[in-house]
Formats: sequence, C-alpha cells, structure tokens
Amino acid sequence: MAAPSDAGVGIYLHVPFCLRRCHYCDFNTYADREALIPAYVAALRADIDAVAAAGPRAVGPPGSDGRGDWPTFDSVFVGGGTPTLLPAADLAGILRLVAQRFQLAGDAEVTVEANPETVDVEQMRVLADAGVTRVSIGAQSFVPRVLDALGRWHAPDAPLRAVEACRDAGVDQLSLDLIYGTPAESDADWRHSVRTALQTGVDHLSAYALTVEAGTEYGRRVRLGTATAPDDDVQAQRMEQVDAWAAAAGLARYELSNWARPRAESVHNGIYWRGGDWLGIGAGAHGHWRGRRWWCMRSLELYVRAALAGESTVAGAEVPDAAQRRAERLLMGLRLRHGVDRQQVAPVDDVVVRRLADAGLLTATDDRLALTSSGMRLASAVTLELL
Amino acid sequence: MTPIDRIRNFAIIAHVDHGKSTLADRMLQLTGLVGDRTMRAQYLDRMDLERERGITIKAQAVRMPYRAADGGDYVLNLIDTPGHVDFSYEVSRAMNACEGAVLLVDAAQGVQAQTIANLYLAVDAGLEVIPVLNKIDLPAARPEQVAEEIAALLGGDAADILAVSAKTGEGVPAVLERIVERVPSPGGSRDAPLRALIFDSVYDSYRGVITYVRVVDGEIRPRMDVRLMATGFAHEVDELCVISPEPVQTGVLGPGEVGYLTAAIKEVDQARVGDTITAGADPAPAPLPGYREPTPMVFSGLYPVDSGDFPDLRDALDKLRLNDASFTFEPETSAALGFGFRCGFLGLLHMEIISERLDREFDIPLVTTAPNVRYEVHIDPPMRADDEPAVLEVSNPADLPAPNRIAEIHEPVVDAMIIVPSDYIGAVMQLCEGRRGDLSKMEYLTPERVELRYRLPLAEIIVDFFDRLKSQTRGYGSLDYEPAGLAVADLVKVDILLNADPVDAFSAIVHRDRAYEYGKRMVNRLRELIPRQMFDVPIQAAIGSRIIARETVKARRKDVLAKCYGGDVTRKRKLLEKQKEGKRRMKNVGAVEIPQEAFVAALSVGEDS
Repeated sequence: MAAPSDAGVGIYLHVPFCLRRCHYCDFNTYADREALIPAYVAALRADIDAVAAAGPRAVGPPGSDGRGDWPTFDSVFVGGGTPTLLPAADLAGILRLVAQRFQLAGDAEVTVEANPETVDVEQMRVLADAGVTRVSIGAQSFVPRVLDALGRWHAPDAPLRAVEACRDAGVDQLSLDLIYGTPAESDADWRHSVRTALQTGVDHLSAYALTVEAGTEYGRRVRLGTATAPDDDVQAQRMEQVDAWAAAAGLARYELSNWARPRAESVHNGIYWRGGDWLGIGAGAHGHWRGRRWWCMRSLELYVRAALAGESTVAGAEVPDAAQRRAERLLMGLRLRHGVDRQQVAPVDDVVVRRLADAGLLTATDDRLALTSSGMRLASAVTLELL
Repeated sequence: MTPIDRIRNFAIIAHVDHGKSTLADRMLQLTGLVGDRTMRAQYLDRMDLERERGITIKAQAVRMPYRAADGGDYVLNLIDTPGHVDFSYEVSRAMNACEGAVLLVDAAQGVQAQTIANLYLAVDAGLEVIPVLNKIDLPAARPEQVAEEIAALLGGDAADILAVSAKTGEGVPAVLERIVERVPSPGGSRDAPLRALIFDSVYDSYRGVITYVRVVDGEIRPRMDVRLMATGFAHEVDELCVISPEPVQTGVLGPGEVGYLTAAIKEVDQARVGDTITAGADPAPAPLPGYREPTPMVFSGLYPVDSGDFPDLRDALDKLRLNDASFTFEPETSAALGFGFRCGFLGLLHMEIISERLDREFDIPLVTTAPNVRYEVHIDPPMRADDEPAVLEVSNPADLPAPNRIAEIHEPVVDAMIIVPSDYIGAVMQLCEGRRGDLSKMEYLTPERVELRYRLPLAEIIVDFFDRLKSQTRGYGSLDYEPAGLAVADLVKVDILLNADPVDAFSAIVHRDRAYEYGKRMVNRLRELIPRQMFDVPIQAAIGSRIIARETVKARRKDVLAKCYGGDVTRKRKLLEKQKEGKRRMKNVGAVEIPQEAFVAALSVGEDS
C-alpha cells in the first residue's frame, strides 16, 4: 500500500551510546561501551551502503512493485542514545555518506539529538558543515533535584550553553525536551523549567509526561516502593500549563507533546504521525516502507557483526493487516492537532464520535477527527473508544 | 432376609466436629467390614468436598453384621445423617428411617446448639437415644461435667453415659453392645402393602439415581413395579442392594431393612427425600407421614463472568440438579450482569457448596450476587392492577415494587438457638440485637453455659452472622435455627445508581433503620472499586427517588502515552490491542465500565470497613 503522498519520506539513524543511563529511559542504548564506537560507526556506514544498494524493493512488502529508485528524502534524523557522543568527524562522515547514497531534498530537515553536556561549538560547526539543520537537546528540567531524580547528571544550565553553542555554529532550528510530573518536581519547579526553556527563544519544545517503564531503574524503584509513580492529576495539570505558557511565547501545540513556532514543526516526527515512509538504520532502529514495518537487531555486538559481514541487520518485520493499519493510523494520527483523515481510520462508530464530541474530547468534521486539548490529556482512552 | 428382631437401625447425631465420622469409621473396623489396611478417614463421606470440609452433605447407610456378646448375630444399619442446619429436613427423614440414635458429644466442648437441635429431631422421631461422650483421650476433656450436662438434657443418670475415644477405639465396643440392647427392633408387617421411606437419593452417571430406602411394610424385590407416591412416578426396580460397605446385590428387602435400589430414574427430583415407595400392583392406601417439598430459603443470582459461558452454566446447573433436588434455578436477566440464573438454596452452606461444585466440577467463573431471602409483598389494594395478585413473592430485590404500591412486606424469620459460655452473653446479645433479634428465652444449662433463644429475621443471619458469632465468642458459640414462618417488617429497597442508572445487581432489601448504613457502605466500597472514567461518575444510594448516600469517582484527567519513541509503532499498537482486550472484559453499566473483579468484590458477602 502506498504511503499517503503528503506524509513525507525520511531516514532514521540510531546511535545507541550514552555516558550513563537515565533512570526513566527504556530506549535502546548502552552506557560504558564507548570502546565499540569505532566499530559501530563502521557498521552503520556499511549498513547505509547496503540498504541504499538494495533499493526500495528490499524494504517494501513482499511482492510490492516498488520502482528501482529511491525517492527524494525530506528528512534525516539521528537519534539515540546520544548521537553527539560520536566524534564530530564520524557523525559528519555518516551524514555525508547518507547524502551521497540518497537524494535529499534541498530543504531537507537534518536533525541530531544531543545531550546538553555533549555539545560544543567546534563540534556543531563540523555537523552544520555536514548538513545538520536542527538540534534537539534533552534538557528535561532546569531544576537540580528534578534532574537528580531523573538520573540526569548535566548541570542545570548546560542546556543553555548547548543552545548558545548551536547558535554560534549557525544552527538556529533548535528544540528542547522537557519531562514533567517527576514526583520530586513542584509546581514552581515546572514553571521555572518551562519558563527557562522558552526564554532561550528556541522555536520548538517537546514536553513529555514521565512514564514508568518496566525494565528501567525508575520502574524498578517504583516496584520496590523506593520511588513513587507520577500522579495523573498532577501530570494533567502540567500538560495544560505548558500548553498555555508555550502558546503565550508564540509556540503552538501541533502534536500531543510538541509545540513550535510557525513552520518550525518537526518534519521527521511528522512522517511517523502521518504514516509516511522512512528507513530505519542502526541497532534497534525501526523502519516503515509502503506498509511493511521492520526493526534491526537491538544488540550492539550482533548488529555490528552482521553489518560488517555484509549480512542483513533486520531482526524482524511485519506487514500489518487492514485492521492493524487502521489502529496505527488512529493511534498516531490522533496525536496531531490537525488529527487524522477519517478515510484512513474508517469505519468509525458515529455514536461513539458524537459521545466523545459531546464530552468535549473530540472535534469531528466530515473528513477529519481531532482531539481537543482536553482530549489530548485522554488520548489513549479516546483512541481506545474509537478503535 | 434378616429376622426382624435382629435388626437395629440407628443414626449418629452430633454437633459438627464432635467426631461422628470417626466413630463410624471405628464401627466399620470393629464389625470387620473394613480391614485396617483399606481404612481411610471418613470412609463414608464420598464427595471430596465432604472430606475436605469435614461435613457430611448427603446421608449414607451401611449394613454391619455384628455378633453380640450374647452370641446372637445382628444386623446393625448405620444411617449417617447430614451435619448441617441447612439440611435439617434431610436429617429428620434419615432419623425416621431409624429406631435409635447415638448422641455423640465432645467431652471437651460439651453440649452445643446442634447437639440439642439434633436431639429434638431424634425425640420427635421417637428414637431411643444413646448418649455417648467422645474424645475422652483429650487433655481438655471434662467427661464428668459434660455427662452432667447431657443428663440434665435427657434425664437419666450421668453415670450411665458411655465414654469413648473414637480416635483410639477405646470404649467403642460397648457402644455397639448398647445399640443391640437398647435400640428397639423395627416394627412393620411383611404382609402389608409395600411402604418404603426414601431417606436419600444420589445421582450416579452410570446407573441413574440411586435411591436409599428403609422398608417399613411389605417387601421390595428386583423387577417389581413400584410407584413413588408424592411425585407419582412409576418404575421397575432394577438393582436392589445393601451397602456392606461396598454394594452387595440382594433378592429382597423386608420390613426394617435398609438398602438402595436403582430403577431407571434419571434425576433425583423424581426420587425425593421423604417420599414413599409403594408397589404398583398393590399400592398402600396412604404414604408415610412427613413428606415435604424442598423449600429454598436463600436466593442468589449466578452469572457467568464471560457471557459466552451462559449455555455451559445452564448445562452445569441441570447436572447439579440431577443430584440435588433441593436446589432450584430459573433464568433471569440483569441489566448489569447480563444473562444468569436466580438460584434457591436451603441455606448459605448449601449455596457455598453449589458455587464451589460449579467452580470445581464445571470450571465456570461466576459472579454470585449477595444472598437474600424470599419476601412476601402485599400490594396496596388501591394501587393494584386488575390482573395482579394481592401478594407477590419476591426473591430478587430488583423485583420489589415501588414503595408507594406496597402495603406490607413479610420476611421469613427463624427461631435460633445459641449456646455460649456465660462470659459471652453480652457479646451475643449485642450481636443479636444488632440483627433485629428478639430474645425469647435464656436458660443456664450449667453455671458456665447458657442457651439463648432468639427470633431473628432469616435475612439477618444468612450474611456472616455465624462468623460474627464465632469471632465474638472466640469460637465457643454454637448456633442452630429452624424456620418460624413470616413476620411483617419495615423493609425498604436500597438501589445503587451509577451515573444515575440503577444497577440491579446491587439492589438490596434492608430494614429501614439500616438503609442509610447499607447505602453508605456500598457507595464507599464502589468508589474504591470503580476505576476512574473519562467523566465524573456519581455513585448514589437511593430509596425510591430519595438519595441517601453519594460519592463520586472523579474523572480520569490523564491517560496518554506522552512519549512516542521513534518509529516503534508496532509496540504501541500491540499495547493498544492489549488494552482493547482488557476493555472487552469490562462490564458496561450505561457508559460506566466496571472490571469484573470490582463486581465480585462489591458483591462479596460481609461487612468489611
């Protein structure tokens, strides 16, 4: 099945290294494995080569008639982990390789995720030179005890210095990530963090509710009773506060957890939310092409070995059926302020739609369904109702 | 056929745990019926449930040939009786099949409520009562005092009371001798038309219903055409057996003899306890006295947790009914719980046994609504529709008419006998008065032990009364009761409303003075059990249109996966699918979703919190 034409096409590259692991994080990343960085860089390059050479037919669903050529890509996103842990020259080299192997649009968005303590001007100059247009910085909080509770160890003002470094290097499209609802966080703490983030003048803000994930340090502490789980009511309130404060600073909510100035919305994340196609390359990376989803080996060692041996790094794949695709479209599309195309999530029960609309959770037109801001707080429940 | 003067038919009657089954076990060994190696504890209790709970649910009969000290060969028929107040009618029928009863009393615990209740049944049945003290090997035994209690109860000489340890076998031979001496041989005439009392019937999946009988007059033989006088069913006798202790076929059962027959009877309802079997060719002019239809006293709705199990539940109930004619069921619908059955039970233990058997033998998860009694509702004449009866029987609280249409409600009451050490009189009185009890008699059995008689509404004792009695008397209190008709009471229906919709499964009929307390308790319990929804859910308790208690489950304010990590859509979709599956297992009451477990917990019997 073809991707919706307006959904965009992207490339995701995963860098699974961190200086240390944050308490809440369940992403595929490894601390204290920097020794493997050179091998991983080589592996990632080999995998990029291999994917590019195999062509779109290799990533699409079996039997798909994908043409031989790659389309023009709208975005590249290097996520982690902490991509900026890689030597700048290596990261720049990887981005140049991508630009050689694939056709990038002239205005393609090229984003690198960064942790504040791993950013400096020299490095950013190197990356900007290699085409980076956007940096997403994981600030999470500007309050020491909240950072401590999250298991972050950067200085509270490190994100400010990182923002400055990026700007000095000529990268102006900047995003800050915040996490709200940490039990250690007070109302005043949250206000301080959001205000500080907005005062930097960044054009993009992401704010996520802290979530207890199994298999994380925080999850373990909650299970053992040495940490408390976030309070839903508090998080609901924080979500409304950040929305109001961001709006006042000229950043509009365009997705459940994301705010941006006009035209500063993330192109790459938009591909996920709109059901577009993207290549996923790197340990544990996920990709989607014309209805087929696949994911790469999570283990660093296995990924490196396979990629360097010229073998496939794919660990698994699926082609969701119509009902599953509908569920995915509902799940992802409803996160957007503009909602989801009704056609893509048909059939929806009109009685349920009316009930949710009457409850002030949903706006429904003939061709779109979208959550209201109350509905955004209850996105999972509303999605479940519509499923 | 045994000469009639060599037959002794007797029962052992005792309070629960006083050692009835153990004494029966020793008798089986002493008469040589069961070898020491094949002996197992509670030999006569067949159902796993009986052995586990240490109670006898169904009566049993075993024939023991016995050579007495006088050199004569006798046949002792031990007719085991159920040991619980729920089954007192069955007990009385089993006693009617006997001429004597061994009254077994724990020498440590002394006379208990069931001891007395069973003794009265035995006296009513005209039985020769042989008192026996058990557990004299226990350090806590106080045989002299307990013998005095018994003598005071029965009249007679305390010194004459036998003392045994059923556990070690000490003294048991003397009990057998005394049965031969004192229990009269049966009367009855071999030439009169057949009359045999059914004192038990058991369903067997291979042979159909096994009907236990005591012949009073005449003879039964295999191939004979017989008729059941109350139900009118006619059958040909197939197999005729005595149990000794395994079934042995016999060619005839004459007056005074005890055994069982099979006759292509498909369900126990066609061979009811208390019915009389007579000969088809030469019927008796009148049945034996005392037959009664089984009357359920306690009612409850049984609903499958998974509505797809409804047909299986119906099959299971049909099968149980083959086995237990005293339990009734009819389909009903609950707006909250879907399709289920309103079931009638003899009492709370009976209800527990049936639920447990359904669970164990048929593996159907059930929601059981809170038990209630059957009310007689007198409709106010001016409010009565032309085609409506003046008196309604209501066994489901949801069916109670609107308050303004009711002239009077009559509820079943019981006469309860409670025996406690005198230290606990205050606690028991407080308990009974809190349950709307009226003290009718108080009598000191000994300076330390008191018998209290209360008239109590049945509805007040079916829910955790016995547990309370036990806990407030440190386990020393004992209870027995018998139905005492109906009495007018000031009762109201308390409805529970979720989001303004009444939830029929939570409706209860309670005394007006207790309505507020009940409403408050249910509303609080539900507030804790119902998960937050997307909107505020008011929970109200109401009498008619008047709200008496209210709580609110506040709306859930956040339910969102805030972080949507990269491209792992598959994982998020799977999580969503799992949540959808969980949602499917919710019961919907209006727009409110309630997990099944919350229903079960809300309906669970008891007055916690």
